[in-house]
Amino acid sequence: MLNPQWISLSIEILAATILVTAFIIVSSRSLLFYVRLFAMQSILLGAVALLVVIGYGETHILIAAALTIVVKGIVIPSALTKVIDKIKVRKEIDFTVNITTSLLICALIVILADSVARPILDQQQVSDLAVFRVLPVSIAIMMIGLFIMIARKQAVSQIIGLLTMENGVFLSGLSITYGMPLIVEIGIFFDIFVAVLILGVFVFRINQTFDTISTDILRKL
Amino acid sequence: MKEFIDTLFVFSIQLLVMLFLAPLVNGIIKKTKARLQNRRGASIIQPYFDLAKLLRKEVVIPVTSSWIFRVTPYIAFASTLAIVLLVPTIFAPVPFHWVGDIITVIYLFAIARFFVALAGIDAGSAFGGLGSSREMSIASIIEPAMMLAIFTVAVTAGSTDLSIIVNRLSTTPASMVHPSHVLAFIGLFIVTIAETGRIPVDNPATHLELTMIHEAMILEYSGRYLAFIEWASQIKLLIFLSLLANMFVPIGMAADVSSISLIIGIAAFTIKVFVLAIIVALIETLNAKLRLFRVPELLMVAFVLSLIALILYFIIGT
Repeated sequence: MLNPQWISLSIEILAATILVTAFIIVSSRSLLFYVRLFAMQSILLGAVALLVVIGYGETHILIAAALTIVVKGIVIPSALTKVIDKIKVRKEIDFTVNITTSLLICALIVILADSVARPILDQQQVSDLAVFRVLPVSIAIMMIGLFIMIARKQAVSQIIGLLTMENGVFLSGLSITYGMPLIVEIGIFFDIFVAVLILGVFVFRINQTFDTISTDILRKL
Repeated sequence: MKEFIDTLFVFSIQLLVMLFLAPLVNGIIKKTKARLQNRRGASIIQPYFDLAKLLRKEVVIPVTSSWIFRVTPYIAFASTLAIVLLVPTIFAPVPFHWVGDIITVIYLFAIARFFVALAGIDAGSAFGGLGSSREMSIASIIEPAMMLAIFTVAVTAGSTDLSIIVNRLSTTPASMVHPSHVLAFIGLFIVTIAETGRIPVDNPATHLELTMIHEAMILEYSGRYLAFIEWASQIKLLIFLSLLANMFVPIGMAADVSSISLIIGIAAFTIKVFVLAIIVALIETLNAKLRLFRVPELLMVAFVLSLIALILYFIIGT
């Protein structure tokens, strides 16, 4: 068996790296780059799940970890890449909140997430577990995903925001209860997968009808 | 007496290594870039020849300039030399580490920057003023980012003294691996690139009016003045690389003056710095220069990453 201290340390480092990918998504403007970062984020998340399996013997997460890597790390990104290739929109140009301000807001979000999670963590006796300390990070990732959905206008970026939120949810599930029951996980995966496919088609249709994928225009329907 | 001689010995080795390794690091970056772009490139010791040539050449001073223009190269070089004595490179406690901590280092950089920017305006050319204003506006974001990144490590070690930080981290290797250190490292790396005028921020190889930042300020310099400024900026790059190498990976630092630990120290330091230099060259090759208005976004990433690093330290704890 591996040293549990190293396991918890690597989980913390991976969680921090996932947070960094979320920040880089906020800081960039190329749609393809978003998708690649999301793929990387999902694979890192799968690695966290695998570490939970190895370190704490929770074998039921094994399937969830494999699903995360395959579905969110490979299938969904390639589907989104195809959509981006088809609609020929490469860059986000118009922002509701500009990048510099977005980054500062996201930094505030991390502080907020910590202050939200702190009371929950303080009530627990098991707070020495590393997985548990990842909770503030996962809440921050969820809220950054939400922020991406609010601040970005392109439909593809909003999908990425949704997916980032979902990754945050999965990470918080891992951190509090070592993952949700398998049936719930599979349900969520199926949900996300179908949602992305439908949204992909939807983006394509928006582009055909309006010649843009900026969701701003949709108000003029 | 022996202690005094040891201190003097450590002191002079530190000074000599930093002074004479800096042009070589620059040469390695240039050579790596050239090879990656399918060029032969100049020899890696070319920067030494450049400096020697410049030192011998005649100095031309603009008629409109004041004493600031003449004094700046020496101030830039002297303040960089002062930093060299504060940054641990081969020895873990540098002899004069009690003179100043990381905040001193940051403000010594600021003195050099301030005078170079003044000299840029002083020369009276339009480019100089442009370069100065750009340099100062970029510096206003870099400085806090750099401070936060280094404070993250300082919090882990419980001191702002660079030598003590490096000592504490190298005696407890487990504390080096911390999620917030990963973030702080990335933050400080972006700061390094911006501060030393490397490619996504500034291009050290061109003199194109619209894009240059650092080159624009020193456009009027020639002869030995230019040599001092160039040498100072090469040492500055080496200082940043050794900060990155020794604060985040303090392996193989010499703790005493025995010849074995000295050789290990010098070897470890050169290897770490060369690896980082090659990474810098890779980044320069893989990226295009950013538009000036996009530079603050990159620097903001560095700032926010360093800020998050500090926050994460308190969230995740030790």
